Amino acid sequence: MSDVFGISISALQAYQTALAVTSNNIANANTPGYDRESVDLTAAVPQSNGTAPIGAGVQVASITRAFSQLSANQLNTSQSSLGQLNSLQTYTSQIDNIVGTSAGGLSTALQNYYNAWSTVANDPTSTAARQALLSQAQSVASAFSSTNTQLQGLSTSINQGIQGDVTQINSIGTSIAALNQQIVTATANAGGQPPNDLIDQRDELVSNLSQLVGISTTTDSTGAVNVFVGNGQPLVLNDQATALTTVGNQFDASQLEVASSANPSVSISSQITGGDLGGLLASRTQAVDPAINQLGQIAIALNQSANAQQNAGMDLSGNLGANMFSVAGPQATASSNNSDNTTAAASITNVGALTANNYLLSYQGGAYSLTNAATGSAVAFTGNGTAGNPITADGLSIVLSGTPASGDQFLIQPTAQAAGSFAVALTGTTQIAAAGAIQTSVGGTNTGSATISSGSVVDAANPNLLNTATIQFTSPTTYSVNGAGSFAYTSGSNISQYGWQVQISGTPATGDTFTVQSNAGGTGDNRNALASANLQTQGVLSGGTVSVNGAVSALITGIGSQAQQINTAQTAQTAVNSQALQSVQSVSGVNLDEEAANLLQWQQAYQASAQALSIANGTFTFFMDSINGTYS
Amino acid sequence: MRVTQSLNQTQFLSALDTLESNLSQTQNQVSSGLNFTTPSQDPIAAGAVNNYDQALAQSQQYTANGNSAQTGLQTENTALSQLQNQLQSLRSLALEANSGTQTGEDLTAIAEQATQIQNSLLTLANTQDGNGQYIFSGFASQTQPFSLTATGASYAGDQGQNQIQIAPGQTLASGDNGDVVFNQIKTGNGTFTVTANAGNTGSGILGATTVTGTAGYSGKTYSINFTAPNAYQVLDSLGNVVTSGAYTSGQTISFGGAQVTLTGQPATGDSFSVAPSGNQSLFTTVQNLITAIQSGASSTSAVPALNNAVTTALNNIDQAISQTSTVQASVGGRLNTITTQQSVQTSQQTQLQQSISSLQSLDYASAITSLDSQNTTLSAAMQAYTLTQGLSLFKYIS
Repeated sequence: MSDVFGISISALQAYQTALAVTSNNIANANTPGYDRESVDLTAAVPQSNGTAPIGAGVQVASITRAFSQLSANQLNTSQSSLGQLNSLQTYTSQIDNIVGTSAGGLSTALQNYYNAWSTVANDPTSTAARQALLSQAQSVASAFSSTNTQLQGLSTSINQGIQGDVTQINSIGTSIAALNQQIVTATANAGGQPPNDLIDQRDELVSNLSQLVGISTTTDSTGAVNVFVGNGQPLVLNDQATALTTVGNQFDASQLEVASSANPSVSISSQITGGDLGGLLASRTQAVDPAINQLGQIAIALNQSANAQQNAGMDLSGNLGANMFSVAGPQATASSNNSDNTTAAASITNVGALTANNYLLSYQGGAYSLTNAATGSAVAFTGNGTAGNPITADGLSIVLSGTPASGDQFLIQPTAQAAGSFAVALTGTTQIAAAGAIQTSVGGTNTGSATISSGSVVDAANPNLLNTATIQFTSPTTYSVNGAGSFAYTSGSNISQYGWQVQISGTPATGDTFTVQSNAGGTGDNRNALASANLQTQGVLSGGTVSVNGAVSALITGIGSQAQQINTAQTAQTAVNSQALQSVQSVSGVNLDEEAANLLQWQQAYQASAQALSIANGTFTFFMDSINGTYS
Repeated sequence: MRVTQSLNQTQFLSALDTLESNLSQTQNQVSSGLNFTTPSQDPIAAGAVNNYDQALAQSQQYTANGNSAQTGLQTENTALSQLQNQLQSLRSLALEANSGTQTGEDLTAIAEQATQIQNSLLTLANTQDGNGQYIFSGFASQTQPFSLTATGASYAGDQGQNQIQIAPGQTLASGDNGDVVFNQIKTGNGTFTVTANAGNTGSGILGATTVTGTAGYSGKTYSINFTAPNAYQVLDSLGNVVTSGAYTSGQTISFGGAQVTLTGQPATGDSFSVAPSGNQSLFTTVQNLITAIQSGASSTSAVPALNNAVTTALNNIDQAISQTSTVQASVGGRLNTITTQQSVQTSQQTQLQQSISSLQSLDYASAITSLDSQNTTLSAAMQAYTLTQGLSLFKYIS
């Protein structure tokens, strides 16, 4: 009889536990990170009394959580990728909006600017037309500077994001370390039974961490989990957390990089991928900085072409044209880790060869190496960095103040400062060089039929450019310039002297003269204005094949494509992540219908056991009554 | 596969997000009428539209440039027409002076009229456009180009000529400088010029001059000397006799590709020099004519001198008329070019606008269709959610 009592009571206890576990599942149906738990029932070991052994009831062997390490790892990896893409998308779509379909108003401003040159060409002495041109030039400068300011704003927001992420990562790391310790202790105290709720909490923290930064994890024999970032940089080892910290970039202290507090001076940014933090770092190097550089490249191209044309012309006061725009040149920064004080200076020698890349110049073992700062690929160069033989590559010329120490590094940013510094240099309408610098004339007493072209300036710096020069024909086939030399004449071929170039065509007679002189007073001349207006379609970049506006179109398409690509990748990753989540949930999630069914199952088993107890009790009472004679 | 209620919830919310953001994007398209508002929605088209926009703005500028050039050329055309009229009047006056029937008073009156024409010519040469710029002073548009001098007029302008861009790679001159219109006018018949020696005492008068032979005029200078009233010699610049012969009035003398007809009776020792045509300012020609007529009026004996001077002037005036016609024809040609080019630009603008519109403008039919289908999807998703949310085993446990 005692068997029946014992068995029934063990069953009542087991099903009470089962009901409690099921209730707990239902209670935590919406708890993030909670893993469905189930009771493992086993039959109690039977006691043999010499006869066939009778079962001794049921007992709860353990309460296990439904958990698949594989699914959890997949979800964490997927969350890291998604986190990175989400953060990248935030920035690429902001750049997409800032640049927009008109490059932040740049494209309209440029059109108006070139059209204003045409208007000046139509009426070169009109102050109104000249003032309009200056205003349009100012709009171009504003478009550059406002777009640049907005992009720089993104840079600042990336810094803040990195700061925030690092703080959050550290706080999660500390919590994981603390939970590791509790889990190890609790497991020991419970005789090896796992503390499921603590483990759930810790795994949830690991999962949260994977959204912030790409991680790898290992679980050791005590049940503690170790978390690593980057190339195995430990974040949590058992119950010890190693904090991440931020450090200024070695070339630009205003840009924050990530470092480990174990070695706070060395940036590990390049090793970090995945998660929001990885996305922020990637946004900076892949989206924001390239956009700023490309915008700067356009600014430099415009500056170069507009100034060269302006320099070749003559303003209303009869002076050679001053620069239309001004722009900051390339920046060469020594690394803060350099062991000596050698400085580098870079300048642009050929705008046509200029790229929007940044370069890393390293000096190692007595030799320089130049690499693309973004891709790390080697860049061909010539020269040794001295003033007489500068390092020359991609339209740049780099001169170092001395021989650097081995291991020194310099960052060369050819275009990063350009868009922000782009400004109109002209101050007055009279400074606009609408006229050509020189004018030509046919001698009044010429008897030949030869004519002279209006001439062009090839070297505005020639000191004799504006001095009057006379081309005299000493015979129908030879001429002298200012009485000197005897040059063979070919109709229509170039005659170049003193920085100008003219063509004489037709049949000159002996004694015919042609004059090339300063165009001072030629205020109605529009040649240079016409040429300036035509710069709109003239190639400047990529070896003179891409015009300023072409570069703007390429910027728009490039930014748009990048944003589109990230959008697509993000959509795809969202689907992958949803799959991973589904797979985790299908193992660990709480299905309320299932729990309801379980409730009924345990309830029925409990009721049946109670019934068994009641029957045992009835049997026992009947037996006692028989003995006491109360049963007749 | 186990499906959990919380996963259902998460997935429904994320689907709702996607559906609503798609719907909002379509809605934006419909309300803005644009196919894309950020480059990422169609990067290639966004770049292309930027290029087309620029081409369109440029083409519109070409039209504006054409209009501006048209105004300038029309002003010039008017001035040239008036110049042509004045030259014709001057020519009639010169013929009148040359008729040989004029008294001294008549000649004085003719000289007076010629002086008035000279002033009109000066006014025309100093024509200003609507902006107060001199149209015949080349680049020095703010400098008055012509001022009268004792021998003609000085030119303060230059030989500059502005170009206006009216199409990609096509420019045309928006004017002509005064040097070309008024100064660079060939003398004589345009190839060579014959002048009577100032010391001539006979009544030999210059007639027609022509260039003969396939080789044309030799380009050298000659002098026709009368060794006797009825005999002439043609000498080259070195004093060599090129040809000689007997002379009668109306005689045609040919040498070195030139043919000169003389009438009247030269005296022994009279000479006529022949030289290649040079350039002479119209104002010099006019001043010479006036001077000749004035001196003709004061001395009746100098009729042959007057006749010779007027003949020279008539030749030069004819050259000026021809030069003016040439310039006028060129201006007319340029005006035609502008008109043609403007219609080309207009059709190009239409084409560009169509290209831009085909890339950028929304296809409303398809946008409304997708708006409709997105709407349907969204409401179906909502309905499905509420339906499945109602399902729970707990409802049936009593």
